[in-house]
Amino acid sequence: MTQTQLKSAYGSAPLGVKPRKTVRQILKDNSGFLFILPAMLIFLVFGLYTVVYSFVLSFFRWNGFGQFSLLPPACEDPACAFVGLRNFQEFLYSNPTQSQFFWKAFENNIIIAVFVTVGTILIALPLAMALNRAVRGQSLYRTLMLLPMVTAGIAVYYSWTFIYQPNGVLNSILETIGLGSLQAKQGWLGQPNTALLALMIVMIWGAVPSAMILYLAGLQTIERELYEAAIIDGANAWHLLWRITWPLLRPITVIIVITSLNRALQEYEMVYLMTNGSPAGHTEVVGLQIFNYGFGDQRQLGMASAMSWMLFALAFIVALVNLRFFQAKED
Amino acid sequence: MAKLRNFVPSTLFYYIVLTAYTIISIYPFLWMVSSALKPNREVLRNKSLIPNEIMFNVFVDTWNQLDFFKYFVNSAVISIAVVLGIIVVYSMAGYGFAKTKFWGRDLFFMAFLGLLLVPGVTVLIPLMQLLRALGFIGPDSTQFSTYAGLVIPMINGGGPFAIFFFRNFYNTLPGELRDAARVDGCSEWGIYLRIYLPLSAPVIATVGILNFIGSWNGFVWPSLVINNSDWFTLPLKLRDLDLQAVIQWNVRMAGSLITIVPVILLFIVLQRYYIRGLTAGATKG
Repeated sequence: MTQTQLKSAYGSAPLGVKPRKTVRQILKDNSGFLFILPAMLIFLVFGLYTVVYSFVLSFFRWNGFGQFSLLPPACEDPACAFVGLRNFQEFLYSNPTQSQFFWKAFENNIIIAVFVTVGTILIALPLAMALNRAVRGQSLYRTLMLLPMVTAGIAVYYSWTFIYQPNGVLNSILETIGLGSLQAKQGWLGQPNTALLALMIVMIWGAVPSAMILYLAGLQTIERELYEAAIIDGANAWHLLWRITWPLLRPITVIIVITSLNRALQEYEMVYLMTNGSPAGHTEVVGLQIFNYGFGDQRQLGMASAMSWMLFALAFIVALVNLRFFQAKED
Repeated sequence: MAKLRNFVPSTLFYYIVLTAYTIISIYPFLWMVSSALKPNREVLRNKSLIPNEIMFNVFVDTWNQLDFFKYFVNSAVISIAVVLGIIVVYSMAGYGFAKTKFWGRDLFFMAFLGLLLVPGVTVLIPLMQLLRALGFIGPDSTQFSTYAGLVIPMINGGGPFAIFFFRNFYNTLPGELRDAARVDGCSEWGIYLRIYLPLSAPVIATVGILNFIGSWNGFVWPSLVINNSDWFTLPLKLRDLDLQAVIQWNVRMAGSLITIVPVILLFIVLQRYYIRGLTAGATKG
């Protein structure tokens, strides 16, 4: 007799038939769901609903005025119409001004992704190695170096904007050290050739602390004996870095790269507060365009939603690549 | 040991590198302090960090003009509400995901984590429509309804990370803990409230500090939702401060300083937990 049959022989159900669970029993078995119920309600209303809404909205044309029903397709305003894929087509290729504007911004996102990621790693790794050695005063250095991350926000952007002014500190420092020719006469944020660079410096400044802390945590897990054994085998300092430290820190580098790419794709708050795309669109990024289509003077909510789904798709691809990367590592 | 030393630069070199970068790290803050103490005519001309003449009156004027306490309270109320909401809702959810069984548990968990992928800017428009439709914001909204509408999506935004964190922590606690309490007649809720929640104090600190700092510094979302200048947060008030033709940099810097000091103090006290939040997951392997 199998287990089930044995059970049913003593129960009320006929032989060979699984005993049916009572509703009461089902509720009891799933009572753990109550723990996630509040989270679930918030998720459904403010998470899932808004994501679906934005997806549906991306197929509509709407300037944001008039009543809008909770169910997106039923908009009651004449200015609102279903347009299919036209929003996507317009910003991707069919509308010359709009698509040129979009691709320029997208190009900036790519530039930011590459330079900020590489810059962050190139600065954070040596700093982490130095911090790992500096046993005395380590916590003081660490606290001070983490401040840029904690204070990200308008106050710090103001301070940087001031430093970047035409008659600001950066220009006068360059003058003092004899690099006056590098000065940005119209201010670092005001000149087309320096504005994006100036923003990326602030981004790197803000991203280095967390990367450094991650690298430091990674370095502290590497056994000293590994280095000693390598030295006995005749390795030099360069080998130690390239053959031991860098490969062993690879999982951490991957995390930093993924975080940095995601941030580069989504960044807009800082650009909005520091330049809002000026001069002449040279610091425009996709997130900022979405924001301005959504809340600026010329509102096109459908266009904004379409663009943001493009961004979502990219973030999704980055995440998939990330997942593949990690699985490959574990195998 | 002595051999390894030959291969790495001297300790002094490391300290020079660290000191140099530390100066870069804190330079904008030093510049803020120095500019806030300079008189109007000096602030644009004197590029030195040390003012020729220290004036506290700009600072005091800005303090009064910014109405620090009022907006400090606004910011604090919002940030504390976000942190409390996140801890209550997601410590429960984390416990549910880690220690109980129910239909669709893993599916729901993936759904929550999937939320991390959605760019913040994607849902701004639907959220505003939703808040308007539900009456949180609009012509006859109150400070309370506006703040509620502001805070709930922020709680939702902090959700995936918090769930992940609480769940992982509860998973590391031994199952015997739960069995023993069971035997003593403790209910599921009793186990969560009396045993697991108190044990998760370090996680509460980590999740709390990360979200507090995040919501304190936030600008765009509060600027969209709050439409009454009396209800502004400190960063919004700071932006409002200098909508004049000529920027008064010393006033701006003084206001900036006032805005970030609370966050810096909190960070210095709780930085151990903050760092734990950053490195969690990255160094487990």
